[in-house]
Amino acid sequence: MRQYLNQVTAIIWKDFAVELKTRELFSTMFVFAVLVILIFVFTVDLSIVNVNEVGPGILWVAFLFSGTIGLNRSFMLEKENGCLQGLMLTPIDRTALYFGKMLSNLAFLLIMEALLLPLFMVFFNVDLFRNLGSLLLVILIGTVGFCALGTLLSSLAGHLKTRDIMLPILLYPLIVPIAIGAVRMTSKVLMGEPLSEMWNWVGLTLSFDIIYIGVSIMTIDHVLEE
Amino acid sequence: MDHLGFLFAANVFVWGGILLYIFTLKKRQQALRKDLELLKASLNKDSES
Amino acid sequence: MNEETSAPEESGHVLFWLTCAGLATALWAIFLFVPTEKTEGAVQRIMYFHIPSAWLAFFAFFIVFVSSILFLWKKDREWDIYAQSSAEIGVVFCSLVLITGPIWAKPIWGAWWVWDARLTSTLILWLIYVAYLMLRGHVESGSARARYAAVVGIAGFLDIPLIHFSVLWWRTFHPKPKIISAEGLGTGMDTTMLVTLLLSLGAFTLLYFLLLGQRIEIEKTKDEIDHLKKERLYSH
Repeated sequence: MRQYLNQVTAIIWKDFAVELKTRELFSTMFVFAVLVILIFVFTVDLSIVNVNEVGPGILWVAFLFSGTIGLNRSFMLEKENGCLQGLMLTPIDRTALYFGKMLSNLAFLLIMEALLLPLFMVFFNVDLFRNLGSLLLVILIGTVGFCALGTLLSSLAGHLKTRDIMLPILLYPLIVPIAIGAVRMTSKVLMGEPLSEMWNWVGLTLSFDIIYIGVSIMTIDHVLEE
Repeated sequence: MDHLGFLFAANVFVWGGILLYIFTLKKRQQALRKDLELLKASLNKDSES
Repeated sequence: MNEETSAPEESGHVLFWLTCAGLATALWAIFLFVPTEKTEGAVQRIMYFHIPSAWLAFFAFFIVFVSSILFLWKKDREWDIYAQSSAEIGVVFCSLVLITGPIWAKPIWGAWWVWDARLTSTLILWLIYVAYLMLRGHVESGSARARYAAVVGIAGFLDIPLIHFSVLWWRTFHPKPKIISAEGLGTGMDTTMLVTLLLSLGAFTLLYFLLLGQRIEIEKTKDEIDHLKKERLYSH
């Protein structure tokens, strides 16, 4: 068990170390997310629509789009330097590899989301502090679901030449329950509703998280076979 | 109130679609069978020569 | 050689004629047997293709799910063939649902597309399995393609209940169509309607198996060709 945790932390630490050196992944994700939000600000007339309904949607689109970039690039970095083959040669448990990757993807995405929230607050004039704890929890469980499935699919699509187009095509339809649920919950939370009023959405999102972590654990061996 | 045009269109799409799919399946099967025969013939020729 | 191939060919023939008979019976029931519905008129008969298509699409994707699991477990190409074939046919039936849906909706609800829960879920399902087929198209045939497809086949099917509920709860915030949704089935449905629906379902199920058999045969022929090509390569 101890060894397993060490393996997982080793992967996470490696990803952070690489990122600290190159700083490519994070900056790309963040800039892209800001651009997505800006494009919506320019194309959607915010004076007409209800910001509380449209805002969370825009926020999550930014999260999901830049999250996809993060997933793709994190895998690409492995492939480019032959790192993937190196990893596969080590006697590491494939599920530890999955968890390591998933958690580092999650960490990057959460950090980026944390930095985007103040921008969101400023651009859309939303009060984040009313229900901050619930908001953070909602963002967490949504992001976990996205990373759980996204890491599995990116390790699969990463082997394809057409990975940049295939990852979104595979991921986005599957991620619909998270997209709908996260936006709904964020919207309600920002309007002051307590989490107890949206147990069905929380339950659904948690189910998504658990199911796809489970599927990933059970199938990652077959994906990373080589 | 009967909107028979819509009913007709739906039928055209459903049965037309199914027939189209069956047709493409048949075509594919025919082409593959031909390839198979050609391959078998050329393999026989090779083994004879 | 003639003796060996006659048994599967024979059952193929039986299935073919059975399917034709089934479809003929269903068509008779749909157009002649069942009376015209009061509120919706003749257009309502579209339901008798729309609903069985939806059930068969779901059944086809269930077969993809089971075959994918069995493939990952047994690593037998046979299961991969079943998964691929069923996915393709499932997409065909799913497309029929998405085409007949709007054609039914337009005269009844006045709009081609109303983002109602079931049709939206079907659209997402269609996208998932089209992505499945695209994935298969983008990878060279072999163990990798089969494994990746199997993972997607499993992930896709498990999403169905999640998609269903998320879309359903999402839609309850939007106004429902004013006319009673014809999807309130089984509640107060005439027996003739039920019988017609079941006949249609039976016919479509036979059609599914017929198409599946054909599609599987195509894959097996392809495999034979690949096998012979390899033999030829090595014998030189």
